[in-house]
Amino acid sequence: MRRNEDELPTTRFVPLSTPEPRVDAEDLLHRVGRGDERAFRVLYDLLAARVYGLIRRVLRDPAQAEEVAQEVMVEVWRTAARFDSSKGSATAWIFTISHRRAVDRVRSEQAGAERVRKVAASSVETPYDDVVEAATARIEQQQVRRCLDGLTDLQREAITLAYYGGHSYREVADLLETALPTIKTRMRDGLIRMRDCLGVSV
Amino acid sequence: MAETVDIHALAGAYVLDAVDDIERAAFDRHLRDCASCAIEVAELRETSTWLSYPVAITPPPGMREAVFARVANTPQERARRAAPSTSARRGRWQRWAVAAVAASVLGAGVGTGTWVVADQKADNERQINAQMQAVVSAPDAKLLSKDLPGGGRISFIVSPSRDAGVAVLSGMPPAGVNKIYQLWMTGGSTPTALSVGTLEGDGSKYIDGLQGAAEFAVSREPAGGSATPTDIVGGVSF
Repeated sequence: MRRNEDELPTTRFVPLSTPEPRVDAEDLLHRVGRGDERAFRVLYDLLAARVYGLIRRVLRDPAQAEEVAQEVMVEVWRTAARFDSSKGSATAWIFTISHRRAVDRVRSEQAGAERVRKVAASSVETPYDDVVEAATARIEQQQVRRCLDGLTDLQREAITLAYYGGHSYREVADLLETALPTIKTRMRDGLIRMRDCLGVSV
Repeated sequence: MAETVDIHALAGAYVLDAVDDIERAAFDRHLRDCASCAIEVAELRETSTWLSYPVAITPPPGMREAVFARVANTPQERARRAAPSTSARRGRWQRWAVAAVAASVLGAGVGTGTWVVADQKADNERQINAQMQAVVSAPDAKLLSKDLPGGGRISFIVSPSRDAGVAVLSGMPPAGVNKIYQLWMTGGSTPTALSVGTLEGDGSKYIDGLQGAAEFAVSREPAGGSATPTDIVGGVSF
């Protein structure tokens, strides 16, 4: 699971522009849905670093990550008319696609059992340390870090192994040598605690 | 109902994409009937979105222009109509889930007779459709579905208890001049890839006898098919 030194996000991290107010990304995505290429470019510049970064974190391979990130961005363009703002924010919609496609790719490449064996053979290492290292002065990153710190170890490991590692909850249960129902519960109550910590509401 | 409790506990794993296709389909259905769950899931999704902040990195230099160029040549989908109604309840949610996913994969209700099998005689179709339906509604049916890099989608629904499966190609680009798509399985007692049939484009194939196969793939082949796969365009693994 260990990444090469040059793949650590600390070395590549770039400060992002001001976080998008929800209404902006939403407005842009609605315009994209009506065929507005200019709006798509603005939306791309707003989110590409996070989309690519997330996909790369899951896939680890930069070339594959770029391929999947491109596919995701084109899918956002192609299917933008499906976005329904009553069901969530534009960014949640886009990151849902991003994460799903990254996970689809990981799972299609290696059968689950094989991945678990591989991972289990190396030491269990959560990406959380990298997250901590990567967190800079950006207020959102500090907030995420603070809120991850507020979780129990099991909640944090369950969430990061699934989200950043692309593991199924069954694999996470194996990796953490914890019962399946416990893992399911920790993922849920961990996210609920994160939600309250971040002050997320819909 | 124990199943309801169990499925509700999946909210976190669902949001983190840590569930399999069948669990996801079942949970999607659960969300339609459970307004409070839908709100919780929406909130947890927003929460998970925050996890992308700490891992943001500059994309490769060529990506921006590459995406814009592709976008300029990619037509957009129109807004979707309301989801088509699916088949009647089938008892256990697993069965329902596979049937619902199968219906969406096929773009038609299960068992409506629209499962065209390209190279079967018409009088065989009814029987094949019944066999396919039996696979899809088997309690242990599993579905694996994947978008292909070159366009289109490959789906396999497999039932070990029936020792049978269904392969579905949808949205496939033309295979090419004098080319067809060929379906394969391997693993178990089939160390080399075993052909399970050919399709000219979208359609489905009934697989009679799985022989423990765990991998399924589709390839592009000269018309008539090949003994071994030449140009594999994608595959899935159970």
